[in-house]
Amino acid sequence: MDSGNGREAPQLTVATSSFVLAAVVTVLFSTGLAWAKDVYAPLKNFLRSPTGQDWTTHGLVDLLLFIGLGLIFMRTKTSETIPPRRLIGGLVVAVGIAGLGLALWFAVV
Amino acid sequence: MHILSSDVILLAHASFGVIGCLAALWVFVEALNAGLANRGRIRTASLLTALAIAAAWICGGFWYVHFYPAEKALILGGPWPFAHNLFMETKEHLFFVTAILAFLLPIAAREEADSNAAARNLVLALSGLIVITGLTIEGAGAVISHGVKVALLPHRDPVFHQASKGAPSWIPGTAAKLHN
Repeated sequence: MDSGNGREAPQLTVATSSFVLAAVVTVLFSTGLAWAKDVYAPLKNFLRSPTGQDWTTHGLVDLLLFIGLGLIFMRTKTSETIPPRRLIGGLVVAVGIAGLGLALWFAVV
Repeated sequence: MHILSSDVILLAHASFGVIGCLAALWVFVEALNAGLANRGRIRTASLLTALAIAAAWICGGFWYVHFYPAEKALILGGPWPFAHNLFMETKEHLFFVTAILAFLLPIAAREEADSNAAARNLVLALSGLIVITGLTIEGAGAVISHGVKVALLPHRDPVFHQASKGAPSWIPGTAAKLHN
């Protein structure tokens, strides 16, 4: 990416940017899943069936999603077009949404 | 002294969490002063962060599945039900976020943070977020433990107060001390 002064702006490798993007998606997905299983009991029961505990399945799904998406984004080079600053900003915002979103959800609902 | 395996697992869970937070703080400080000299230390501390958080997940997960239900029942029946409804519910789900960040950190640390500003910013953001979310989770763990404690302490029980006004008999001396 041209920064306008003739020098290349610093970039992340495809592997790193792919896993950052995967982390953003996984963090938001995990938060959404926590909300969804809290309001929809059948989903909680469904998550309980493979491991006996919905929390265990939730964690494994998050882990597999993170690794799977990271590898897919690496292969498709999806994250290559996203500037690192936006990726890092997106990650910080996603973690903020997760932290505040979970705390407020369980405080209010 | 009688220490159960559940005690060891619970304390190992909290200890690994603290080690993960400290290792992430180490990464943050090293990344602030990133140079050729500390490139190796950033990578070592990043790996330590990921391993410690993974160990905290395994210990905490085992304890949560096998031993927490009894404590949950105590908390919900005690004076601090929010220790489960708010703090445990938030903690157990926020932990996944910290874990994902911790597993991403060694990948980010493979970049040359000393010569690449984007890589340095990523390592700083990741390690900072791990410290913040990790310490939040540690604090929530303390509230949950206190939720169990207040459920078990007799002086927090209204029935105890009622009974101890006239005759402090069932725990000798305790009620008398409470009213002095």
